Amino acid sequence: MRVIVLVKQVPDMERVKFDTEKGVIDRKSAGTEINPFDLNALETALQIGEKTNSEIIVLSMGPHSAEQSIRDAIARGAHKGILLNDKKFGGSDVKATSVTICAGIKKIGNFDLIIAGMQSVDGDTGQVGAEIAQILKIPHISFVEKLNEFDCNSLTVTSNIWEGIYLKKVKLPALITVTKDINIPRLPSFKNKMLARKAEVTVWGYDDLEEHLEESQLGFKGSPTKVKKIVIPKTAHREGKMWREDYSHAVDNLIEVFKCRKILEV
Amino acid sequence: MNIEVINKMKEIAGEDWVLSDLSQMAGYLYDETEPTIRPKANEDCIVVKPQNALEISEIIKYANEKSISVVPRGGGTGLSGAAIPLTPSIIISLERLNNTIEIDEENLMVTVDCGVTLAALIEKIDKHESLFLPVHSGDDGAQIGGLVVENAGGVRAVKHGIVRNHVKGLEVVLPTGEIVQMGGKLLKNNMGYDLMHLMIGSEGTLGIVTKVIFKLYSKMSNTMTLIASFDNNKDAASVVPRILQQGITPLAAEYLDKINIEKISEHTGLKWPLQDGNAFLIFILDGESEDELFGKSERIAEACESYNALECVIAESSKEQRAILEFRSKVYPAFCDELVETLDIAVAPSLIPDIIDDLTEIAKKYNTITPICGHVGDGNIHNMILRVNGEKPPYFEEIKLEMLQTAMKYGGTVTAEHGTGKIKKKYMGLQYSDREIEIMKGIKRVFDPHNILCPGNIFDN
Repeated sequence: MRVIVLVKQVPDMERVKFDTEKGVIDRKSAGTEINPFDLNALETALQIGEKTNSEIIVLSMGPHSAEQSIRDAIARGAHKGILLNDKKFGGSDVKATSVTICAGIKKIGNFDLIIAGMQSVDGDTGQVGAEIAQILKIPHISFVEKLNEFDCNSLTVTSNIWEGIYLKKVKLPALITVTKDINIPRLPSFKNKMLARKAEVTVWGYDDLEEHLEESQLGFKGSPTKVKKIVIPKTAHREGKMWREDYSHAVDNLIEVFKCRKILEV
Repeated sequence: MNIEVINKMKEIAGEDWVLSDLSQMAGYLYDETEPTIRPKANEDCIVVKPQNALEISEIIKYANEKSISVVPRGGGTGLSGAAIPLTPSIIISLERLNNTIEIDEENLMVTVDCGVTLAALIEKIDKHESLFLPVHSGDDGAQIGGLVVENAGGVRAVKHGIVRNHVKGLEVVLPTGEIVQMGGKLLKNNMGYDLMHLMIGSEGTLGIVTKVIFKLYSKMSNTMTLIASFDNNKDAASVVPRILQQGITPLAAEYLDKINIEKISEHTGLKWPLQDGNAFLIFILDGESEDELFGKSERIAEACESYNALECVIAESSKEQRAILEFRSKVYPAFCDELVETLDIAVAPSLIPDIIDDLTEIAKKYNTITPICGHVGDGNIHNMILRVNGEKPPYFEEIKLEMLQTAMKYGGTVTAEHGTGKIKKKYMGLQYSDREIEIMKGIKRVFDPHNILCPGNIFDN
């Protein structure tokens, strides 16, 4: 069985800073890491792989620095890593990204299962997984929070969507996206980490994927979505007010505040 | 409490900042000292919340005039009963002195009001790109004044030391009411005796710290956390001095035994990253570059391997590293319902394997266990004396004394972090001669001639 895990390199969101004036993420302000949901995807793949003797391939799209995330995935147990990297891929939105990753998957070929995180913590769209399944014309289940049963032919999972819990069975090949509740990702052993630092990562550019892609589908050209600006919501601060003796005025004031904030309907 | 005292406190601090009703005061009478060993608080107290050092000074002068005890109180996270009033007292809660956090980038220092919590201070410093304060006392609700007068330790002390090593200056209200500045933004100061270092760790007996100047450090751009598992505690404890000897100084070198791991997992539902092993070491490293850290980590991993480590894993992302530190921080909450007391013995770091062996043997003799964790890089361990059927066991005093005597045998200390307070004062004679204790009492008399500040801490009245 061959399992492909989709991995994105993201800024370390606990350290990254936002430039509120320019409305952009200052990516240089923090280190990078594997998108945390993708670590859950990788752990799911490793657990399946351990019981089915599967080959686990990590696939990513991004700058050369994303090789670091792929090596981290290899340290945690993936067998092989492939990076899709080309100037032509730059500026891709959800659609162009999905199309490009699909080309990579087609080039890998003969897959049984694709696993992705439910969303990335920097983009937050949660659409790439489902779009890839749609393009590949394979069934998919999103927001999987439990792996109930699996074998080389099918998966039975619990999926949590819109406050509903669904028990779903899917025939392979298929794609699932997983939530953070599905497992706790393992840490890499130090030995594997050191070995993986020297691991070779296969890099495919447009020329390698030409068979499955048209140039018009890539990067800015292939992206109907344009992000004009990122707005950082202002932090809400607590406010306090004190009334002395004039309690009826205080009550009127409070009712007014509650009505204004739509806490009370009076 | 006498109505005259209540009115005076309202006059000084304002009506809104005085509590005299027991139901409102209850939360101010105890700290985090285990209920099984803490003394009963005197309930004939009044809580006052002054807003600055001047108001504190007025309260202190009044207390001297009327011979009323004063007990200052920070976040109430202490473990030695120092904030528990034993006599009718004015409890000064310092929570309103929390406005100032001034970072001085030029001199690498920060000036902080005593009522600022450690969490608020760390949050502010963390926003700074290049500065760092290596204090992690285990409870972020602790207030700065309390951290200083208790000379807190915690993890991350291996590389930069404990709170004493970071303090450069203090503003203090003396027990006689004067407001004095001790130290300052100075790296050298040899004028007269060093009263500032006498104040640090004085457990509220020599003055009320109202402002603190801490030294700041340059923030390293990279951190890594390693965990190694071992079959036995001897191997785990023995490797740490070997690593330090190689010139590798981690921010933290922490030890946890399997009993701790199982209990924390059961209590919190958190998962420990390693499956096998009976003893575990956590190393937190910081450095300028990833390569530097991998180099140091490799040497640590090799050293662990030479001491029969079973496995060694690494965490690099902030989230994964924080999860490990959080797990470590849950030791006390996980055990708090089963504890009689957590001791905090320290010995020379190289003697840690011996004292762990001795403590384990003592526990066996009493047909019990003593879960052990600690800051092994500092030679400081926390071993627990557990309840039996929910109660303090009849052998409690005996086993505790035996464990403390063992620390003395190795030239150690009764308390490395928690302080003497009211809980350990009866063991002063174990560690100090009569003459030494008499000198300490003399110092107290010079600072506080009417013995109004924290009576019953460190010595009996």
